Amino acid sequence: MSIQITRRNLIRGAAILLGTTALPSFALAAAGGRLVIASDSEPRNLNPAMVASNGVFFIASKIVEPLAELGYDGMKPLLATSWHGSDDGKTLTFKLREGVTWHDGQPFTAADVAFSAMEVWKPLQNLGRAIFVNLEAVETPDDHTAIFRFSQPTPVQLIQNALPVVTSVLPKHLYEGSDIKENPLNLAPVGTGPFKFAEHRPGQYYRLTKNDAYWNAGEPNIDELIYRVLPDRAAAANSLEAGEIGLAAFSMVPLVELDRIGQIDGLEVITKGYEALTYQLIVEINHRREHMANLKVRQAIAHAIDKQFVIDAIFLGYAAAATGPVPANAPEFYTPKVTQYDFDLDKANALLDEAGYPKDASGVRFSLDLLPAPYFSETKQFGDYLRQALIKIGIEARIVANDSAGHQKAVYTDHDFDLAIAPTVFRGDPAISTTVLVRSGLPAGVSFSNQGGYANPQADALIDKAAVTLDTDKRTALYKEFQQLVAADLPLINVADWSFTSVAATSLGNVANNPRWPVSNWSDLTVER
Amino acid sequence: MNFVARFIRSPEGIAGLVLLSLLAAAALLAPVFFPGDPLAIEGRPLLRPFEHPGLPLGTDRLGRDVMAELFHGARASMIVGISAAAVAILVGALVGTLAGFGGGLIDEALMRVVEAFQIVPGFLLALAFVSVVGPSLTVVVIAIALGSWTGPARLARAEVLSIRERDFVAAARVIGMHPLEIAVKEVLPLALPPVMALTSVIVAGAVLTEAALSFLGLGDPNIVTWGSMIAEGRNVLRSAAYLSIVPGLGLVALVLGVYLFGEGLVEALARREGQG
Amino acid sequence: MKRAWRLLLRRSLTSIPVLMLVITGTFLLLENASGDAADAYLVAIGGGDAGYVADLRAEYGLDRSVWVRLWFYISNLAQLDLGQSVALNRPILDVILERLPVTLWLMGSAVALSFVFGSLLGVLAGARPGSATDRTLSIGSLALYSVPSFWLGLVLSVVFAVQLRWFPVSGIETIASGKTGLARAGDIALHLVLPVASLAMLYLALFLRLMRAGMAEVWRQDFVLAARARGIKHHKIILQHIARNALLPLITMLGLQAAGMLGGSVVIEGVFGIPGFGRLAAEAVSGRDAPLLMGVILTSSILVILVNLAVDMVYALLDPRVGASDPA
Repeated sequence: MSIQITRRNLIRGAAILLGTTALPSFALAAAGGRLVIASDSEPRNLNPAMVASNGVFFIASKIVEPLAELGYDGMKPLLATSWHGSDDGKTLTFKLREGVTWHDGQPFTAADVAFSAMEVWKPLQNLGRAIFVNLEAVETPDDHTAIFRFSQPTPVQLIQNALPVVTSVLPKHLYEGSDIKENPLNLAPVGTGPFKFAEHRPGQYYRLTKNDAYWNAGEPNIDELIYRVLPDRAAAANSLEAGEIGLAAFSMVPLVELDRIGQIDGLEVITKGYEALTYQLIVEINHRREHMANLKVRQAIAHAIDKQFVIDAIFLGYAAAATGPVPANAPEFYTPKVTQYDFDLDKANALLDEAGYPKDASGVRFSLDLLPAPYFSETKQFGDYLRQALIKIGIEARIVANDSAGHQKAVYTDHDFDLAIAPTVFRGDPAISTTVLVRSGLPAGVSFSNQGGYANPQADALIDKAAVTLDTDKRTALYKEFQQLVAADLPLINVADWSFTSVAATSLGNVANNPRWPVSNWSDLTVER
Repeated sequence: MNFVARFIRSPEGIAGLVLLSLLAAAALLAPVFFPGDPLAIEGRPLLRPFEHPGLPLGTDRLGRDVMAELFHGARASMIVGISAAAVAILVGALVGTLAGFGGGLIDEALMRVVEAFQIVPGFLLALAFVSVVGPSLTVVVIAIALGSWTGPARLARAEVLSIRERDFVAAARVIGMHPLEIAVKEVLPLALPPVMALTSVIVAGAVLTEAALSFLGLGDPNIVTWGSMIAEGRNVLRSAAYLSIVPGLGLVALVLGVYLFGEGLVEALARREGQG
Repeated sequence: MKRAWRLLLRRSLTSIPVLMLVITGTFLLLENASGDAADAYLVAIGGGDAGYVADLRAEYGLDRSVWVRLWFYISNLAQLDLGQSVALNRPILDVILERLPVTLWLMGSAVALSFVFGSLLGVLAGARPGSATDRTLSIGSLALYSVPSFWLGLVLSVVFAVQLRWFPVSGIETIASGKTGLARAGDIALHLVLPVASLAMLYLALFLRLMRAGMAEVWRQDFVLAARARGIKHHKIILQHIARNALLPLITMLGLQAAGMLGGSVVIEGVFGIPGFGRLAAEAVSGRDAPLLMGVILTSSILVILVNLAVDMVYALLDPRVGASDPA
């Protein structure tokens, strides 16, 4: 008898426990002014002025704002209201927004911009070091004007395209006099953005709260943003489905799950909002290796890749076949009028025969090492595919798997590869993205750059000329010529251009309303209450 | 009654033997039934089972034949399990014998090394080792052995300690055999059988560790293993659950077979002792 | 008691060279890895120019020689300073103290549950060796013992968290819920159910089998035979004589499995998104964060040593036959 009672009590106890604690934890992740977002990383440094990377922007762009942001119809003012360059390409003048305050209440002025540019962007920022290499000084005639002076002519087009990425402004009064690299604010940023940094529980979440004093009155519309750390991508889909999170960006939900997730009430799959964050799936080639130095071999490999299969099977349609080194998502520079390599195994085999690599008795011409970048499941899957595609033309590829750090070292420092697969980013302007994959003379150790030993004086000359051409039309024409040259000589093989996808709760409003949406400031984002 | 007869009387042993024979047959016949690379793309991606006559279990995300992967996966899992256990037992027995026979400072030093390996979680060690060296079949085997050689080492040492006091060892010393020769030629063969009894546990552990490593993406990408199939299938767990369920069941069957077989052996041995 | 202290002292002293071996080994392993902490970080931020890379290496202290760094680490360690994590840019001790409790809860609950239920079922199976109950439980436990825990975790999570929504999918507690006290404890407990279940099944099977085997052994011993001869009731013999004596190997196994359990938590923490020790170790490896990995391995080694020490102590208390001589 006593046992029965105990057991019944136990069951009832469990029921109460489930009832009371289970309900709140499954409350909608996007309601009541709070949005829970899946985040797959915890940046070591959360300061977007020092580390210009999407992983940092995803969180920090809501806190620290750049001078301008990209909209679907061009560059939009943010902390700068207007800008113009001089004819000699040596000065660039920014008019700054008035009435903006930092999260600690201090006013935002031109001095902050000058400080950020000279002390942070130019000397410390991973991308700014290249873009602002010729920046000599920033003058501040008044509190709302900043004049950038360059020692060499610098194309306005380049700087303007890079504004959202390289110009996050830091508060001078909190950084001046400190060791900028070690400033504790790098992990708890203070900015002018619509959200304020509240707390970070390592391994668990970041919490951002509404900035009531945001310069654009009436914004933001959400009380709280919570970035839940979910390093495991498979967990993100499950958490969305269970209502624990309201937004998963950057394709955190595996592509194969999208169809199913999209059917679920209250969730939608969104492919917009990444147009300016295009990733390029490329095959990097080590031109130091005898086989690879042969253009016919490179052409054969290009012909052996069935881009349509890659798009359909690996990207499940969420990508586009690449036609050349600049993605179609960059209409300003893109040209489709370049050499194309159709999927044609006969042609590929013929090219290899011509190149002087006949098949041996077992059908193998030669072997090589293939190093797929481990950063995305798509790059690894493409590695598996490429190995199969190559064996069809008699090239036996051995996949060498490394983790991120190992891959970085093997490909970009040790050059220990024949073919590698990389997901490179198109950064809005060929000067700071595409061309670094082709330009010769870059020191070893620089990642996502030409470390394949390709050297073509003609290409180098084009790149250098475009870098100092101030006239936008002429500059664009030079880059089109560059694309034709790259497609013909194949220093690398462009396979696909892909953007990410988001899965969001349907209760969210103003989602994906600009081409850099996940890394923009979300000041107008709304949650149905 | 001979050993085989005693073994046959154990139902566990028989069940294990049957399971293992089936799986071993699958592994051995994999290249016959499914010649060529099991990772080759054979059809449309994500074909359901029985949808296509030539592909009875359908295809995975890249259109690879799941049936072929399953057969070749059995092969990889068994190779890894057996080689890792062999390496672990050989190294362990050797170190244990040296420690037990050498005694003194050698023993002390070697046993500290054994302890060092024992207190570090074996899976952590394997994970760190494979991440750092880069995954290949050999590396995975070594990584697993790193975490499982200490058991055999301790057991071998204990055995050796009891054997080395026996008469024939003293005799070998008297006739002037080199101590190392005595250790390897006279003592090791006697110390080995009890250590071999650990085989089934080590093989089973190795199979599971390999699967866990592959699941974390730390398997050799040039071959297919059940762990990598589960990891691959995990992404489509909701829409094509069988892609991770089937290799999972394969793993359970293999590990269970090894345990049952080991159980049968132990029982058969125990019966002999009981009778003797 | 004096004996226990002597054991403690002896063990602590012999542990020092072992721990030194572990530290040096870990350090050299990461040192020989392809790619360093700077490489790992560059991947995360999408790269930088050559000067940036050099600055990064200098900042991380990677421009100094291997031995200088190892020496710095060990001399800091002697002052009980675990140093600063390269990848997380925080004091390692803080990070470890933050992550360790989670894993200890996870493992502790799994061990406690599997110990209790495993030994109970083991008693049930061993009470009548060869009976139908015994066979079923034996085979059942063996099957359970053969299931990879990460796979079990996957299946449990899909069924109970995603489909049935009885339990949360991942994490250790509802984030930023503002819960305190009992409500928070309940919340954490709810999050732990599935991961604990995935881990506990394996050990439940192990303890069941050990208990059963131990009982089978004890059945044959003289004092049990004597008790039977005296006509003491079956269940009394089991509880008073056999189960008690069969418990000892279980406790030994607890010590032996401590390291294995810590390792097993890596995968389970991954599957369930639990910010624990295992995940920290994986992060340290992928970030080439040598000091952090050494901190993690050192801590887990010390934990294992402590567990074994505790096991020895318990053993000494339970079994008076264990003498002062220390076998290990």
